Order: sequence, then C-alpha cells, then structure tokens
Amino acid sequence: MTMALGAVQVLILILGAPLARGIIARIKAWFQRRQGASIWRPYAELGKLFQKEDLVPPTSSLIFILAPRVMFAAALAVAAFVPVLQPFALFGSVGDFVLMVYLLALGRFFLALGALDGGGAFGGMGASRDALISTLAEAPLLLALAAVSISARSASITGIVGGTLRQNFFEISAVHILAFAALGMVALAESGRMPVDNPTTHLELTMIHEAMTLEYSGPSLALLEWAGAVKLNIMLALLISLFGPWGMAGSLSPAALGIALGAYLLKMLVLMSVLAVIESSMAKLRMYRVPDFLGVAAALSVLAVFFTMIAKR
Amino acid sequence: MEFVGIAAGKVVSTSAVFLILTIVGLAVARRISTCVLLFSMQSVIITAQVAATAYLENSREAWVVAGLVFTFKVLGIPYAFFWLVERLKSPRDVKASTTPAQSVFVVVVMVFISYAAVRSYVFGIRVPEDALAAAVALILTGAFLMVSRKKALMQMLGLLVLENGIFLAALTTTFGMPLVIEMGVLFDVVVGLLLMGIFTFRIRDTFEHLDVSRLRRLRG
Amino acid sequence: MVLIWPLFIPLLGAALLLLCRDRRVADAVALAVCGVEILAIGNAVWQVHRWGSIEGRYLRADGLTSFFLVNIAFISALSLVYATGYLRHVGEGRFSSARWFYALVYLFLFTMVGVCLSANLGLLWIMMEATTLASAFLVGFYNTEGAVEAGWKYIVVCTVGIAFALFGTIVFYLAAVKGGLSHASALNWTTLLAAASQKQFDPNLVRLAFVFILVGYGTKVGFVPMHSWLPDAHAEAPTPVSAMLSAILLNCAMYALIRYEILASRAIGTEFAHTLLLFFGTFSIVVAGLLILVQRNLKRMLAYSSVEHMGIIAIGVGLGGPLGLLGALLHTFNHSTAKALLFFGAGNVRHNFGTLRMDRVRGMARSNPRTAGVLIVGGLAIVGLPPFSLFVSEFAILSEAFTQSRYLIGGVFLLVLSLVFGGFLYHLLRMICGASQETQPKPHFARAEFAVMVVAGVCLLYFGVHIPAAFSVLLREAMTVLQ
Repeated sequence: MTMALGAVQVLILILGAPLARGIIARIKAWFQRRQGASIWRPYAELGKLFQKEDLVPPTSSLIFILAPRVMFAAALAVAAFVPVLQPFALFGSVGDFVLMVYLLALGRFFLALGALDGGGAFGGMGASRDALISTLAEAPLLLALAAVSISARSASITGIVGGTLRQNFFEISAVHILAFAALGMVALAESGRMPVDNPTTHLELTMIHEAMTLEYSGPSLALLEWAGAVKLNIMLALLISLFGPWGMAGSLSPAALGIALGAYLLKMLVLMSVLAVIESSMAKLRMYRVPDFLGVAAALSVLAVFFTMIAKR
Repeated sequence: MEFVGIAAGKVVSTSAVFLILTIVGLAVARRISTCVLLFSMQSVIITAQVAATAYLENSREAWVVAGLVFTFKVLGIPYAFFWLVERLKSPRDVKASTTPAQSVFVVVVMVFISYAAVRSYVFGIRVPEDALAAAVALILTGAFLMVSRKKALMQMLGLLVLENGIFLAALTTTFGMPLVIEMGVLFDVVVGLLLMGIFTFRIRDTFEHLDVSRLRRLRG
Repeated sequence: MVLIWPLFIPLLGAALLLLCRDRRVADAVALAVCGVEILAIGNAVWQVHRWGSIEGRYLRADGLTSFFLVNIAFISALSLVYATGYLRHVGEGRFSSARWFYALVYLFLFTMVGVCLSANLGLLWIMMEATTLASAFLVGFYNTEGAVEAGWKYIVVCTVGIAFALFGTIVFYLAAVKGGLSHASALNWTTLLAAASQKQFDPNLVRLAFVFILVGYGTKVGFVPMHSWLPDAHAEAPTPVSAMLSAILLNCAMYALIRYEILASRAIGTEFAHTLLLFFGTFSIVVAGLLILVQRNLKRMLAYSSVEHMGIIAIGVGLGGPLGLLGALLHTFNHSTAKALLFFGAGNVRHNFGTLRMDRVRGMARSNPRTAGVLIVGGLAIVGLPPFSLFVSEFAILSEAFTQSRYLIGGVFLLVLSLVFGGFLYHLLRMICGASQETQPKPHFARAEFAVMVVAGVCLLYFGVHIPAAFSVLLREAMTVLQ
C-alpha cells in the first residue's frame, strides 16, 4: 500500500510539473497586470512537441539524442526521493541526500554534453555558464542539506522529514531558518529562475538554460522542457517537506491523505506566489554577480552547519 | 494568553537568527537604500525583542523604550536617511572596498568569533546565548561597515548598526538600563546623526564628493 | 541646588547669546555670562570645601570635582577673553557670526561642566557624547576643506569611541546589578564606590568593563592609537576653540577615566587598571614624542604635545602613590595653562604671518617680539624646564616612578622628554631667530589677547615656584578622593 502511495507521489510530482509552471506564469502575469495564458498551457505545449519531428544535426553523435532521455530519467529518479503526502518516498531507503544531489548533477552534466554536441555556438556558451552556476550551487546545496540532516540525525530525505515532523512547531531553530534561506537561493539557481536566469527570455546572449536547449526539437525538446519543470517542482516540494512538513499524513486513512494533499497544494501555492513575486520584482543578475549570489548562499549554509554544532536543539 | 507568553519567551532568542540574516544582507548590499532597509528590519526585530522583554518583565519602562526605538529607529532615522540620499544627489552606490564575497566571508567569521567570545561569559549569567552573540556580531559588523565602506553615509549607517548591537547587548544582559539613561542615549544618537547629516552636506559642498577615503588632506 | 547653577548658566547664556546680533553686544554678554559662571563655580567649590562633598541623584561634587571645575573656570575665562579680541581681528568673511560662535562655546561649556558634575555613570556618558556633538561645529567652524575633514573625522572617531565606552558602562552596570545593587542605583557613583569597597563585583566583568571604558574614553583623551582625530581637530579649529579642546576637554575625559579607575581599583585592586593606564600612557608619549619631531604645522605640533602630556598624566595615575597622583593632578592644571598660552601665541602667528607652517615663518624676534616672547615662554614651560610649573608636576611623577623601581618607565619618560625638548626648541627657534622676512605687515596684537597671555605666563611662573595656599587646599581635597 505504501509502495502504491510512493508511486502516486512520484506521479503527482511528474505530472503536476507543467501545471506548476503554468500557475507560476499565471501569477506572474496577474502580478504584472497582464491577462496571462491558461494554466494548462504547458500541457498543450508538451503535447504539441511530442507530435513533431525530432530533427538531429548531422554532426552530432549519440549523446545528442541520449541527453534529454538521461535528463528526464534523472529527474524521474530524484522525484522518487521526495516525500509529498507522507514521510515516505519510493527511493527513501535507497540512498541519502548526497545521492539525490548527484543524480541532479548527472542530469545537468548530460544536458551540458548534449548542448556541446549540438554544435551550435550558443550551446557551448550556455553549457559553460551552466557549469559555473551548478559548480557554485553544489556546495551550498550539500551543506544546507547536511545541516538539516545533522540536526535531524538522519541522512535520508525521508528521515529528515520525519525528524522535522517530530519537532515542536514553536521550536523554530536557527539551523532551519538559515538552511531554508540557503536552499531557497540554490533552488532559484538550480531551476534556472530569476534572478539567476530568465526562463522567458528570447535573447540568446542572456540565456543560460535555454541556450542549451536551442538545438533540440520535437520529443527531445518536450522531454527537456518537462524535465526542467519537474526539477522546479522537486525543488519546491523539497523546500516544503524539509522545512514545513506539518500536515503530512501519519496514517493511511483517506481523511489523513486528503488533508495531506490539501496542505501540500496550499503550501505549493504559497511558495509559487512567493517565487512569482521574486521573479517579477528583481532584475536578472549580471553573469559576474551570480557567484556573489551563490557565495551568500554558501555563507548561509556554512552558518547553518556551524549552528548545528552550537545548538542545543 | 499563555501562547503569547510562550511566543514572547521565544522571541528574544529566535529572532537572533534573523538579525544574522540582516547582517549577511548588509555585507552584500550594493545600494545605500538597501542597507537602510536592512537596518530598518533590524530595528523592527530589536523592537520586538524589547516588547517581549517588557511583556515578560511586566515593566512599563521597557514598553516606553520599545515605543521610542520603534519611532526613531524604524521610522524616523530610515526616513531621514532616504531624505538625505535624495537631497545629496550623490551616487547611490555603497562604494565598498571589499567584494561582496569577501564581505560575506568576513561577516561569517565575525559571527563565529562572537559566538566564541560569548561562550565564556554565558555561564555566569542566565542569558540567551543567541541574542548576546547576535549583539556582539552586530557590533563587529557595524565596525566592519564603517571601515570598509567609503561613503560618508555608510559610515553613519555602520555607526547605527554598532549602536544597535550595543543596545541589544544591554537588553539581553540587564533587561535595559534605567529609562532616563536609555532616553538620553537615544537622544544623543539622534542628535549625533543629525550633526553628521549636516556635515555630509558640508563635505559635499566643499569637496564635491562623499567619498571619505579621499579626505586625506590632513596627514602625519 | 548649588550644583545646578554652574551647570545651567552656560546653557542659559548660550540661549541668550543667540539673540545678540551685534558683535560688540555679543562680546559683552559673553564676558558677562563668563563672569557669572565663574561666580557660580566659585560658590560650588566653596560649598564643597565647607561640607566635604555634595551628593545628589544626578549631580554631585567632591574635592576632585572642584579641582577640575576650577581648571574649567580658569581656562574658559582666558579663552573667552582671548576670543573677544580674536574675533575682532578675524575678517568678516571667515566667521559666519560671532553669536553662533559664543553660543556653541557656551553649549560646549555646559556639556563639560556636566561631565564633571555627573553623579550617575549613564549621565556621564551622555554628557561626554554631548561634548563631541557640541564641539563638532566649533571644529568645523571655518568651513574650509581642512576644517570639514577634521570635523567629520572628529565626530565619527569620537562617537565610535564613546559607543565602546557605552558598552563598558553597560558591563559595569551589569556587574553592579549582579553584585546586588538595585536597578535604579546601580549607576550612582557613591553607591558604586561603597559597593566596590565591599568587593561585591564580579572581577571578570569589572575587568571587561574597564578595558572598554579605557578604549572608549581614552579616545576622547587622545591615547594612541585612538588619537587620529586629535591633531586634525585641534589644528583646524579656531584658536580659542583649540585652546579649550586641548586644555579643558582632554582634562574632562581624563576626569572620567580617573573616576572609573577609582572604582575599578576599589573593586579588583590596583594591578589591572594601573597596568593598562601605564601601557597606554607610555605608548602615547613615545608615539607623540616621535611625531612631534616631524611636524610642519605649528598647531598640529601643539596637538601632539597634548597627546604626549595626556600620556604623562596617565602614567602618573597609573603609578599611583601620593607623589604620582599629586603630579598627575597638578599636571592637568599646569599643562592646560601652558597649552592655552601656546595656542594663543599660535593664533597670533596665524594672524600676523597668514600661515601656520613653521618653515614659512622666520625672524619673529625682530618683527613680532611679543609673539616671540609668548612662544618662548610657552615652549620652555611645555617641555618641562624649571622654573615653570610643569617641571614640578613632571618631577613628581618621575620621582614616583623611580621610587617604585619602575626604571623602564622612568627611563622612557626621560628619553621622550629630551626628544620633545630638542624637537620643540628646534622648531620654535627656527621660527624666532634669523632675519625677518622682507614684507612684514604691522604686527597685530589685541590688548585682550596679550593680557590673557600675560596672565597665563605669570601663572605658569608662579605655580612653578610656589603653590598658593588655596590651591594646595584644593589639591589636598582632590587627593583624598583619589586614595
């Protein structure tokens, strides 16, 4: 039964990803006093892309076709790590947060390879920029996750969530606040949102993530877009479950599950609104200032680890 | 009502973390107005701490102090700073002598140092360790801002952050000094800022810039 | 109350002076207020002499207070009389208005008298910070580049220093509260003194507090390395203000330090406080003495000399013992007289030669004999030659050092004194001797200015030979507080 629930969680994350994108775009449009597209639009886009032909540059190799599939598979695998409705995930006992982080890195690595393989100039540019960002973002990501895992005394994501659940709501701990701040900044960097990267830009020289997907078309592009959306969804779900897991189902009764689903949707909505507001109010950082941004995230995560040492909580 | 009591008891120590977040923010901020906003947020947190102390100790004096801190440090002084930035018409850049990455590193080291320094003193007094360490970190950050930021306005702001830290240290260790003294201290700070503000106008008029690192005529 | 008068007369005088638009009226009112203030201070000193000490919740006075009040009264009288002559000859363009000058000076006086009369350590802090604020505009009065820079540095460095002193005050308050005193009375000096004698205070806290107080108030005194504001401020301010800064403000800051030293010594013994004071004092005299040799601006050199003499006073207090303390107290008075005299002379040099650069002034003996005489008298006095009074106080401190077998400190002291002697006289003689310059304006010397300088010079001479009975009574009462 729990396995089925785990599979349902993965499906929620994967199938709900385009919807998350659509909702964020809608909130941004409302914030900017525009009409905005329908929230189901990304599904239509994916459907359109899946029906188109997959054009492959003649100079590319197997990597070019492999990259979107590996990226999607990695996103799928990581989705199985994150608990949504219950402090349980399909891959919860398979590995800890380090494995999760490096699965994400695997997907990114192959994406960069595929972009280079495509042969276009912008692919290389996007790949090098993305490599810089992901390198700098890796340290705060790992440190922040390490900090919460030390304070929860468990290395697996489900263990951390369980630990946080057992804590009293009023025992707001310094570790969690700092780690939340650090992870929030890393989430922005990893999912390619403002102020690190503009997901809606069409000027090639300002692209980071989109530059890597310029050469793709058809199902490959669909898989890449979907994987990107799934990554964003995973980061948001991770933030929710690590730092605000209250409302998760303790038992398997339909009532508890219903409450858990409602709580999850509500928290996602809040987080998405915050993201939309941040995206609408900040300008994209110049490339040489992104290391400063991630440096602040690193400093906050270092402080989070430091606080695990001195905290009596 | 007990809920309020618990919340008040927690406020003083948990808000220390938010103070550290503002300190990190001050280290990386690039515009004077951002720094002023961060100072304003710091003062809001400190007002909350004073109010919590006033509630727990049941002291009317502390409520008056909370009101004064709110009026002056959250509303008055930031508003005066914004007005000053407007009127001076000088570049809004902070003119830091260290890159944001270096500043953040220094700030993190200072947080470590403040915790280490507070450790040895906490055992004698029943003091929330977080709040006192945050106070020392504020003092060190204020000093760092004054030294590393080359704009006259930033030196004033560094002084304000320093004074915030000292006030918080007084609050956590002794629950505040007698009301008359607190009011005198606040009055001195406000008048001092007023005078410094007038001086920045004079500096701008005499030197045509507000970069204090270029005030090097008198040496030796 | 007796103590309210000396405190509020300057304040009322400042308000009154703002109404006087005419310069001559302002001069007259300023002098009148000065006279009334001297009477008030005299009355307070007399009352303290009769009753031993006057206690109150916020204001108090004892022997030490009256000693410093006499110092304030004397020097401020000299400076104000000098200022009336000085302002008359400074062009209208430079001075925005005489009434603002006098009003700010009296505000400044109010804060300094407040420092001396405080019974509450918090009030002491407030008044000390207020002295910085009141004098900031006086330092920047001329509104030139140098003055604005000096004023900014002054206000920033001193405010930071005093913020650290606030921290020290808070730690002291904490120690007092932990030692059992009630919140309301934990900052009162008399209560603290009594409690300190009972050894009620946590020694760690008192040590921490004293360090911060020393750094904080030491910034105002001008200890090296916190002295960076001093040369600029004293050099760029108008001459009467320079005299007041060097001669009164530094003494008031030293007064605050002495009060805390008494408390700390009572609480944890004299070792800690004295070691720190000796360290800062020796460091100050060495650095200041060396820097005097390379100065080019007359007033800057005088400012460094003030740093050096404050270091000497700190050494005197740090040595302790009857001779050391006597020497230190006497030195505060003697140094202020000599420094005021020298600054007045420097003002005159600026007047007649248009510059304070010592290498551009030549042949004063021939062209301005009276100014040269003033500078010679002041210079000989300040380097500590007999028969001037500074010799007496420095000799007392030196003999205390050798009595306590602190040969290193005594030796360094002597060495620096000789260095300063050489440097000072070199600079002064270079200005005075030699052929006078070709185009010399007719020497200017206001009668008021000269009279004041004569008074100061005579005082230096007289005190060097014999201390009048009234003054020695004052000294004795101050000493009883210190021991």
